[in-house]
Parts: sequence; C-alpha cells; structure tokens
Amino acid sequence: MLKSKTFVKKTRSGGVMKIVREHYLRDDIWCGSEVCTGCKQESTVLQKDACIESNLCSYPHYLIPDTNVVLHQIDVLEDPVIRNVIILQTVLQEVRHRSAPIYKRVKDMIHEKEKHFYTFTNEHHRETFIEREPGETANDRNDRAIRVSAKWYSQHLKPFEADTEGLKVVLLTNDLRNKQTAEESGFRMSSATVFIISGEEYIKSLIANPELVDRLALSNDEKVTNEITSSKLLYPEHLPLSRIQAGIKSGSFLQGTFRASRDNYLEATVFVQGEGEDGTEVLLQGLQNLNRAVHQDVVAVQLLPRNQWVAPSSVVLQDEGAAKDDNVDEEEEENTLKESATESVRKPTGKVVGIIKRNWRPFCGMLNVSQIKESTRHLFTPADRRIPRIRIETRQAATLAGQRIMVAIDGWPKDSRYPNGHFVRSLGSAGEKETEEEVLLLEHDVPHQAFSQAVLSFLPKMPWAITPEEMAKRMDLRHLTVCSVDPPGCTDIDDALHCRELENGNLEVGVHIADVSHFIRPGNALDKEAANRGTTVYLCGKRIDMVPELLSSNLCSLRSNVERLAFSCIWEMNHKAEILSTKFTKSIINSKASLTYAEAQMRIDDTSMNDEITTSLRGLNKLAKILKRQRIEKGALTLSSLEVRFHMDSETHDPIELQTKELMETNSMVEEFMLLANISVAQKIYDEFSECALLRKHPAPPPSNYDILLKAAKSKNVEIHTDSAKALADSLDGARVKDFPYFNTLLRILATRCMMQAVYFCSGMDSDFHHYGLASPIYTHFTSPIRRYADIIVHRLLAVAIGADSTYADLMDKHKQSALCNNLNYRHKMAQYAQRSSVAFHTQLFFKSRGILNEEGFVLFVRKNAIIVLIPKFGLEGTVFFDSKDKTAPNIVFDEEGPTLTVEQHTFHIFDKVKVTISLDASNIQHQKIRMALTEPVIPGVSVPVPDVEPQAKKPKLDR
Amino acid sequence: MATAQVSEAEKVYILHGIREDLRVDGRGCEDYRHMEIETDVVSNTDGSAKVTLGHTAVLVGIKAEIGKPRPMIPNEGYLEFFVDCSANATPEFEGRGGEELGTEISNTLYKVFNNKHSVDLQSLCISPGEHCWVLYVDVLLLQCDGNLYDATSVAIKAALFSTKIPRVHISTDDEGGKEIELSDDPYDCMRIQVENVPCIVTLCKVGHRHVVDATLQEKACSVASLIISVTHKGTVTCTRKVGGGSLDPESVFEMTEAGKRVGKALHAPLMKLLQHEESLGRKTPKVGFLG
Amino acid sequence: MAGLELLSDQGYRLDGRKATELRKVQARMGVFAQADGSAYLEQGNTRALAVVYGPHEMRGSRSRTLHDRAAINCQYSMATFSTAERKRRPHGDRKSTEMSLHLKQTFEAAIMTQLYPRSQIDIYVKILQSDGGNYSVCVNAATLAVIDAGIPMRDYVCACSVGFVDETPLADLCYAEESVSSLSVALLPRGGQIALLQMDARLHQDHLEALMEAAMTACKGVSKVLDEVVRQHLQEAAVLNVCP
Repeated sequence: MLKSKTFVKKTRSGGVMKIVREHYLRDDIWCGSEVCTGCKQESTVLQKDACIESNLCSYPHYLIPDTNVVLHQIDVLEDPVIRNVIILQTVLQEVRHRSAPIYKRVKDMIHEKEKHFYTFTNEHHRETFIEREPGETANDRNDRAIRVSAKWYSQHLKPFEADTEGLKVVLLTNDLRNKQTAEESGFRMSSATVFIISGEEYIKSLIANPELVDRLALSNDEKVTNEITSSKLLYPEHLPLSRIQAGIKSGSFLQGTFRASRDNYLEATVFVQGEGEDGTEVLLQGLQNLNRAVHQDVVAVQLLPRNQWVAPSSVVLQDEGAAKDDNVDEEEEENTLKESATESVRKPTGKVVGIIKRNWRPFCGMLNVSQIKESTRHLFTPADRRIPRIRIETRQAATLAGQRIMVAIDGWPKDSRYPNGHFVRSLGSAGEKETEEEVLLLEHDVPHQAFSQAVLSFLPKMPWAITPEEMAKRMDLRHLTVCSVDPPGCTDIDDALHCRELENGNLEVGVHIADVSHFIRPGNALDKEAANRGTTVYLCGKRIDMVPELLSSNLCSLRSNVERLAFSCIWEMNHKAEILSTKFTKSIINSKASLTYAEAQMRIDDTSMNDEITTSLRGLNKLAKILKRQRIEKGALTLSSLEVRFHMDSETHDPIELQTKELMETNSMVEEFMLLANISVAQKIYDEFSECALLRKHPAPPPSNYDILLKAAKSKNVEIHTDSAKALADSLDGARVKDFPYFNTLLRILATRCMMQAVYFCSGMDSDFHHYGLASPIYTHFTSPIRRYADIIVHRLLAVAIGADSTYADLMDKHKQSALCNNLNYRHKMAQYAQRSSVAFHTQLFFKSRGILNEEGFVLFVRKNAIIVLIPKFGLEGTVFFDSKDKTAPNIVFDEEGPTLTVEQHTFHIFDKVKVTISLDASNIQHQKIRMALTEPVIPGVSVPVPDVEPQAKKPKLDR
Repeated sequence: MATAQVSEAEKVYILHGIREDLRVDGRGCEDYRHMEIETDVVSNTDGSAKVTLGHTAVLVGIKAEIGKPRPMIPNEGYLEFFVDCSANATPEFEGRGGEELGTEISNTLYKVFNNKHSVDLQSLCISPGEHCWVLYVDVLLLQCDGNLYDATSVAIKAALFSTKIPRVHISTDDEGGKEIELSDDPYDCMRIQVENVPCIVTLCKVGHRHVVDATLQEKACSVASLIISVTHKGTVTCTRKVGGGSLDPESVFEMTEAGKRVGKALHAPLMKLLQHEESLGRKTPKVGFLG
Repeated sequence: MAGLELLSDQGYRLDGRKATELRKVQARMGVFAQADGSAYLEQGNTRALAVVYGPHEMRGSRSRTLHDRAAINCQYSMATFSTAERKRRPHGDRKSTEMSLHLKQTFEAAIMTQLYPRSQIDIYVKILQSDGGNYSVCVNAATLAVIDAGIPMRDYVCACSVGFVDETPLADLCYAEESVSSLSVALLPRGGQIALLQMDARLHQDHLEALMEAAMTACKGVSKVLDEVVRQHLQEAAVLNVCP
C-alpha cells in the first residue's frame, strides 16, 4: 500500500530553521472517473457522460481549472451547468492559502454530489508528483504540477476514449504564460487530448448559458486592453506585503480594519487593535487616502503629520449621480470636507498604504443603467452605503434594471475610479417585499435557507410522546399550576412560571424552560445547523427559525394543556424575596395557561378573580417588584429604546398601523424571573466548569462615550453622573424638567446609545465577567433555548453539572467554545441589524400609503448640516437636512460645544420640540427614504408649509 | 577517557611489532585504518558527515544560525564547537562522564578551525557589525576506538564541505531599518571553501617509534602523543602535545615531519572522495546507519 | 487561516499517509562492534541509535544493587543538531530525564530481569534526528538493541504515538502533527499488555477508547516490522557463520 518513495521537502520559516518533512508518494490514488476500469476505486465522482455544451469542446470533457481560474471565476464554477470538474490538490492548497472564503466555497462544491467535482490528490500520486527544479519559482512549479496532472489524466483516460465518444480533458487557465509554456513544451503534440483553453474563451463558448458570461470576472489582460485608460493614476500604488509587514513591525504603519462611513463616502476610520482591550481609531479622508480600501478590509495605514490631522466631518455626503469619469478632478467633491476645525477635535488622520486582506463578499444592490444605450458597462450601487459603487459589464442591463442583483468585486486597479466586478445573480424586482426581505437577509448574512434533509432527519418521529424511561428520570411537576406569559401571537414559548406557598410559609417559585437540549444532541447535523444560525431572527411578520418548526412551535414550545419536557430552576424564597435554596432539575410540566402580557395583567388587576393561576401570578408579581427594587438599588440601569409594532393586514401582510410597544407590569415580572434564573445558572455552571462556562458580559463603556449625553443634559441644566452604573441610574432617575415629561425618556434613549454591546464569552478565556447594565457580577443566557443557541450550550453544561447528562469533547474545549461565542456574537449583532432594517422597510411601506403627515418630534442629535429628529408616536428617527443641492444653502452655523446648530436666525438645541412633515421619498428605489422637512419653527426659506392633508386627529401620547 | 586494559605481555608484543614497522592489525606505522566517509546523513542539518575509522565512529552536524559578529571582528562570522561524548560510545561517559574529554577536544577544534586561515570567515558575514552566520559544529562520538582527533577533523572537513547555507540578502526600507530576507529558491545557497581547512594527525610515541592512527591498545602502550594540524599544502597550523608522559625535542621534530607527510597525503584522496559523492547528487540513496 | 490542515477531506495527511498508516520503518541491528548490543532505527525522519551494555556487574555505587533481579539503567539523549532549532544540551534537562525514566520503566516490564540478579543492564539511546514520536522510536530501537545483546525479553516492546484530529485517530504522528492531543503507548503485543501509557494533552474521555484501539493496532504494526528486521538479521548472521 505504502509506496514509500521518501524525499524531503525543505521549508524555511522565520530565521534559518531548516524544516524537513516527509512526503509519501502513493500509487493507490484513483482517478475518480466512471469510465476508468484500471483504478480500483470504490465509488466514482466524474461521470461518463460529461457533457457541457460548448462551441469549443463538442465532445464530453472534464475540466481542470488552474488556481487563478478557481479564485477569479468561482461564481461561474458554482453555476449548476458546470459539472465534472477535477480540482487538483495543488490548486486546492493554493486557494486555501490565498482566500479562505473561496476555499470554503470550493469545498462546498466538492461536497455537493450533483456538481461531480473530484479532488485529485496529485501531490501524493507517484506519477504526478514533481520536484521543484533549480531556478524555478514556487508558482512556476505549481503551474507545472498542474500541467503534468492534466497530461496524466489525458493519458490515463485515453484507452477509454472509444467508449465515451472521445472523452477529453480540458485544462482551463487564464495565465497566458502558462498557456504558452504548455504549448511550447509540446503539450498538445504529445497528447492530443489535452486542450488548454482560457477560462473566458471556454465560458463564452458555452451554448446554453449566455448569461454566464456576465459572471466572468475580468482577468488581468482584458483589463489592460479594455479599460478606459486614463493618463493619470487615480490612486497611489499599494505597497507589497513584505514592506507592509516590515512597516508594521517598525511601527511606521498600523494595521487595522477599514470601516467606511455610512454617511460620507469620502470618509472612513480604521480601527487599530491596541494592546489589551483598547484600540485606537485612525481617520481617513478623501479618495486618495482611502486608496481603494473597501469596508471590512484589513489594511495598513500610515499616520499623516500632526498638522494635517482633521476632524471627522459631520457632513452627510453620498456618491450619487452618473458615473464619474476616471480623470475628473476629485477636488471639487473633496473641497466640502476641508473645513477648519479646532485643534481639540482633530483626530489622528492617516492614509491607506496597502491592503493586508480583502474581505470582499458578493454585495446586494441595484444597477444604474448607463445612459449610453449600447454600453455594456454599468455602475452598480450596493445597498450597503459603506460599499463603493462597482463597475460591471453585462449584456442584460435592460432586464436587470429595476431588479435587485448580487455583484462580486474582482479588483480595483489604480487607474480606475470604481472597483471592477461581475454580476452573480438576480434576487427579484426591487421594492417587492419578498425581494427586499431576501436582500435584507443576505446583507446581514442571516442563514435562511430551508432546513436540509440531513438536519430534518434528526427530528423526533411523530407522533411523539414522553417515554416511560424519560418519565422515570425526570421530576414530575405536572401537578403544579404553571403558566406562561408572552407577547400576543407567540408560538415559540420557551419559558413558563409558577409560584405557590409552601407549608412552612415560604414561597416556592419555579422557572421552567423548554428542554431543547433533550432534542438537539451534540454534534449531529441539527446541532451544527443551529450552532451556525445562532439565533432565531425576528423580522416584521416573519420569523427565521434557528431550529425546525416542529421543535420551535410544537415539541419544545411550552404550550398549555400538553405535557412538555422542561429544565426547571426552582427557588425557595421568603416573602422578602430572599433566596433560601436553589434547585435545578429536568422535569415534566403541564402548563395550565398560555397568557399574553395583557391577559396576565388583567387577571392580576381584577380583584374578583381568585383562581390558582391568578394567585400564582400575584405572588410572582409581588416578588418581582421586590427583586426589581433590589436590583435597581444595586445599580442596574433601566434604559429606554422605542420599539414599534406593526399591525399587519392579515391578507396582504402590509402594515396598517404602527404603534410603539407598551410595557406592562407583567413584562417586567417575567423579565425579573428570567434574570434571576440566568444569574443562578451562570453561578452554578461557573462553579462547576470554571474553564469552559459560557457566560455573557456587558463591559462598562469608556467615559468618552458619555460626552454627548452629558452635553445634552447640561443644555437643560441637568447633571448626569457617569462614574458608576449606580450613579448613572440615580442621576437618570432624578433628571426631570418641568413641563417636559418626555425629557426623561429622551435622556434614557440617549444613554442607551452610549452603551457597549453585551457579548458571550468563555470563562476560561477572559477574566472580566461583569455585566454593567444589570449590575451583576456574572450572567448568562439560559431562558430562551428555542431561539438562542447560547442557551442550548448553557443547558448542556447545567445538565452535566447536575448529573442529568454527560459531557462531550467540544463542550469542554475552551478554544472551540470561544470560537462558537464569536459566531454567536456575530449572528446576534447581524440579527439585530436585520430586525432594524426590517422595521425601517415596513415603516416605509406604512408611510407610502399615508401620503404626507405632519407630526411633532424632538431633536435627538445636531449635526453640521442637519438635525436628527425623533417622532415618539412612531418611534421613528429621521434627518432634516438644511442644505440641499438644488437650493441655495441657508446660513448655517454649527457650534461643537453645545452642540447647537443655528440656521438663519433660529438655533436648534438637543431636545428642542419641532414639527416636521413626514413623507416617503421613492425617487431612489434602492434607498427609499423617509424624508422629513421642517414645518415648525418657521424659518423663512428653510421650513415648508404645513401640508393640506389633515394629520390624523389622534394626539400622540407622550408620557407614560 | 575511553581506555583499554592491556596486559604486560600484550604490551611487549605490540612494542616489538612496532619496532619492526608491523602493527597488530598488520598496518605499517604511518598507515591509517579503513576509513568510511559519508556526507549529508542528517537531513535537518545544513551540513553533516559520518566518519568511521576502524571501530571509531563520529557524526558531525552543522547548523547555520544568524547571529551578531564579535565586536572586535565585525566583518567576520564564526564557528562554535561542541563535542558530545555520549554514553553510547562507552558507559564511562554516562551522565557528566564525557564532559571533560568533550571540552578538551572542542578547545583544540577552536584553535584549529576557527580562524580565517582555515575557513573564509568573511564570507560568513551578512552585514558588518550587525549580522553574520554562526556555524554550530556539533560533534557526536558514537564509538571510541582511539584516534578521536583525526576522525573528528576529517568529519568536520567533510561536513563543512557539504554545508549549504541559505542565501540571504539585506533589504533596506524607507526608514533605514534592515531586514534579512531569505532567498525564495531552496537551491540558492552558499557553499564553504574547504580547500584550506586542515586535518589533524595524531602521532603516538610507542617505544622509540611513533605511529599514526593508534588503536586503543596501542594508545595504552604509549606515553605521550603529538597532535598536528596540517593543510593540503603541508603547512602545520597547530601542534599540541597530549598525554601524561614526556617527549624529547628530537622526537617532537621527527614526529612533526612525519605528521606533515601523512597529513598532506590525507587531503587529496579526501577531497576526491567528497567531490565524487557530490557529483552523484541526490539520486543515490544515503546509506547512513542502515548499510 | 489557522495552521495546517492535518487531515484532508480525501483522507490524506500532510505527508500523504492515510490515518492509520505508519511511517516507513527501517532498522538495522548490530551497528557497533564494541557494545554488547546495538541497533539503529528510523521511523520516517525520526532516527535513533540504541546501544546496550550488559548484563554486567554493578558499576559505581553498590547500593543500587537488586538482589533478586538486574537493575536497568537508561539514558536518553538527543544530539544537539537533532531538532529544527539547535539544542543547547544533549541530555540532563528535565525532558530527557523524564524520558530516561519512562524507558527504564518500559524495559523493566519487558526484560526478564530476574535471570540476572545483582547485575546491571545499560540501555543508552540517542536521537539523531527528531521529527515526532521520539519516545516511541527510542523504545523500538532499544528493543532491537536488547535483542541484539541476547538479553531475554517477555516479548518485543513496541511503541507508537497516536493523535486525534477531526474525530479520527491518526497513527504515528510526525512533528507537525504532534500539536494535537496525542497518546503514546508501549505495548507487549503478544499478550496485549501495556508497558507504558502516556497522554499529555486534554482529551475527552469518550474518545479514549477509540484512540487506545488505534494505538494498539499501530503498535502491532510496528511489531511486525521489528520481527522482520530480527529475522533478517539472524539470517544474515547465520549465513556469515556458515561460510566465513
């Protein structure tokens, strides 16, 4: 078996270490083709009838792409038309080295049975392995290895040519030099069956799929000839990686993640990770300094001399209009940026000198069809405003106009104003709800495909019932009066509660959580899928489940009057809500009622009701109030953000009414017990597994985050203390202004914006556990396993801690867990963004049907050329611009200190009450916007007249 | 030190034989035992050689590392020697038993090899005063049957011959910082000129005569020996008397002359052999210890 | 992208082996004439030399004399040039001392020491080149040297390391693979007795059984090779004796 033709491979790393590795060559690596009778393979991947209709290759053929074809034409390779491809190990390794995302995509294709992609381990095959020769570069050697393998294949398959209508091997390469070398070395002569074709030629020759041509990435040589070459290089050259690394080492360059500004396309920041937790931000301004970096790229920046530092501009600037010529002077655009700023607000400013790692993904967006009818070059505007516009080539512009499409970037030459890209696929007509939802999910990287068969195969078989063995292992709590309280329409009920008086006069309180970890066993496809999704995503009128519906809405959901498995946390408390004992157990419950918050509130308030459920609720409510008071005394924050709720039309699923969510006592009652359960569980799992407990922390924000809050409060003569959470909570409580009842809520909204993100982490990898917002030394998530994966892990840990389940390797591996936490944090963030976008989209739909409204609002922020207004009635935020392109700009004075903005004679402060008109601006179908215009105070030439349409009579209720 | 026990009768037998220019194993007084040399035996070193001389076996490995030049000679690299008298050679060396002998040999090696007349130390300099190559020459004694010095010196010369130092160049960035870059091509390497590297010849005074390449038994009959390092031109670069006994000036002179003769004759076949082995390239498999 | 891909989707390891395959094992007995027994063994790029002296009377302090059996004395050392980065000391450091102790324990379990009361057997092993599995290679080399010295043993002692990657046990790890949690086993294959078991990294208990299984299989593979070497050696020796 082991054909040990040993030889050594030398690689030198770092200084002068000589590393010797063995390399075994084998002769039991098979070709993977169905037609071959010589290889003793068990299963084959490549088909006998390998037909892709092509002008160039009229015979069945296998494709062997070289590394560059895989890297650049991955979108084409992914098309279902392309089948029977041989991926050489050399190619796979190079791809892995050069681009992790593409590597993953290639691997996915290999796993897909219908694609018939075969990996040939050529580097270990006795006949296809080659050694590097003196004077040969690593790249040349790999190119040669690819040629040798292609040749081997053609000779290997030659004997079967007759049976297969002339099956041939086609080597795809875009590298002219490689192609030439292949031809020169008599490649074609010696074996007439190998054809070397460039990737483009081949794809253009495909008969059935003309649209595939659009997905072609532009290759280097084509760019040179076709580019509208401008004499002037628009951007400075990027430095080579070696220089960058040397510069970073010597400290002259900084490495960081490029974050484009959402509001200003000429501005970006680079976040440089410093030592420990803190990092610094470097400001970049102007296209030259941004130097072709794209949002999320890892870049190297060089700081400019101190006298060239600038302040972040508060101007909102968007790259709009027709394609700009490459040689147009940018100065005009950039002039708007150059404003003198006081020394104090200047920030470290720099320029991008090189790209360390591109982080390009396919982007959703729309095509701006070129004015020239015949043109095949068009500009594409991504939905994400942080991504620059991309120039693509397509022949289907007319069809694609008005559609949402996906485009991938191929490169950004230094003489091109825009990056070059290619069309990937169409998502549907813009503005349609399905399309927009798809865009939203794609843009936020939310996995939303239907669950695969592999995943579904791990679901319990229906009809499902609790087995007697399971019954014996669990505590039977069916007799207890357990009930659940949730928002209306909730079908995934994770939690239920009970409270009863014990014989000794104390109270027993139980929190019962759906036992999802009973159904989802570690490591199977279902578990992996859930771990990848990380969380259920709630959009308006739509839910993207983390686990299949059978579990989320049925077997795990703690519905009333059915027996369900639960994980219970039971406390014995006295009437002062002091915990006397805590017990965790797997249990069986039978919920007596599924209530909404409003229903529960009614029962508590209705003195005539005295049934078991109601007394239980009252007990809970009483304890919750004490718990909440205790928590606030310890310094927990109560913050505020306006959440809106749409009433949907049951037929069209269009929003018909918009309402800010109202909070009731029962909301807080449920929340209090969930917090308590989470804290109790966190402590328990940390005690048991100090190295690998999955916890959640909320870091204290750096003091500078509070600047805006302090300034805003000061303008109303209110003092806010931010030294500790407790001080902040107390001063927020005391902050009241006469005749301005909404002030406190506004202040809390501002305070919320100052906070940091709470994150999951693994206890063995971190030392700071504190949860700032809840003022708890330790915290985790235990109570929503149906919709959060973190809770499933916590359930598993707790189950091991109480001896109800056994561990498995990954659960105890802190590095794996840490990696999981990173994914969960990412998914959570993305889910939040997706949710916000969904609300924004539905708000737009709502206003579309309303025409122009006139509403009262408050100034939330003041910017250089605009104010941001909050309309409490709709929980809606919008920007009122004071300078627009078509009108002469009014006289605007911006005061950084206030901050205030003086427009003509009127000065705007934060918290000012204003009236605005709200309308939907659908002029740009991609970025439909809510447009706000000022009606009150009246500023001549700036404000607009009150619209004729009578605003709805209802006065917004502001205080609560 | 590895020694052999020799009885009086044996001693007399050996002494008489040598007087007649006929040694116990049939050699003449200036004959070496059968010698085997193989280079490139340890693949993770930059140069290596294995030498067996009768039952004496020595393995030398050379590793090149980047270091800082000595302050007094900023434009030269240097060699470091370490002699490991392992317990494999004899149980006496177990623990720290071999240290004394190891230090003694390595001190001699410093004197013989670490100077610019033997090795072109300037070629080991990368950037004067900042970086240079340091060659770590590690000698491993595998079996002792006398004449360690000669076997070691031949092995070192062979190992130096086979040493391939990766080619480096210094690149300077904008700020004047220097960066060492290794050549991307594994075949691009620097070789060491070994022409002037001397070999050591040990002459043992046995009775009134002296012999080269003494076995342990012969050594037991000898009172003192002389170590002479000789280049291919016959130049003596170093002499040292070792052993407990004493030598009269006349025999020192005689022994030096004999050493020059023998040493000079040693170089030509050695170089021929090394070049022959080199010309075979990598196609012939290494025998190493398996042969 | 973090690190190397130790096991490809096609089931090949970095050096082209499959998960259960050993490296190429080559060995020779009787490499040195002076010692009572000697052997050279290479397992891929890990090469070791073992020599055995004895049984002979106690050397040095008499207090170590055992009255009912022979004392086994082991020294493990590594050539200074054996590792990628040059070692400063060949022996005497913590790691080598530990290895020496492990070797001693392993061979105490295998050699029929009761046949040589009040005597001593020295086993010295030297790693000439190191590329993973140092301990196992030493044990295998020492086994051959002990056989070469004609000292009776209960059975061959065969050692092998195994590691755990992607839910798959890998046999006979090379240096690049040793970063994973690994297990070293020395086995007396005929009786299936384990002479030494060592695991340095964390491993979930669920995987232990599979890993042990793989280790035992690997050790048996080694024993087959060693047996061949011994038979070959004996044949050569016999031929030499017949027609000198």
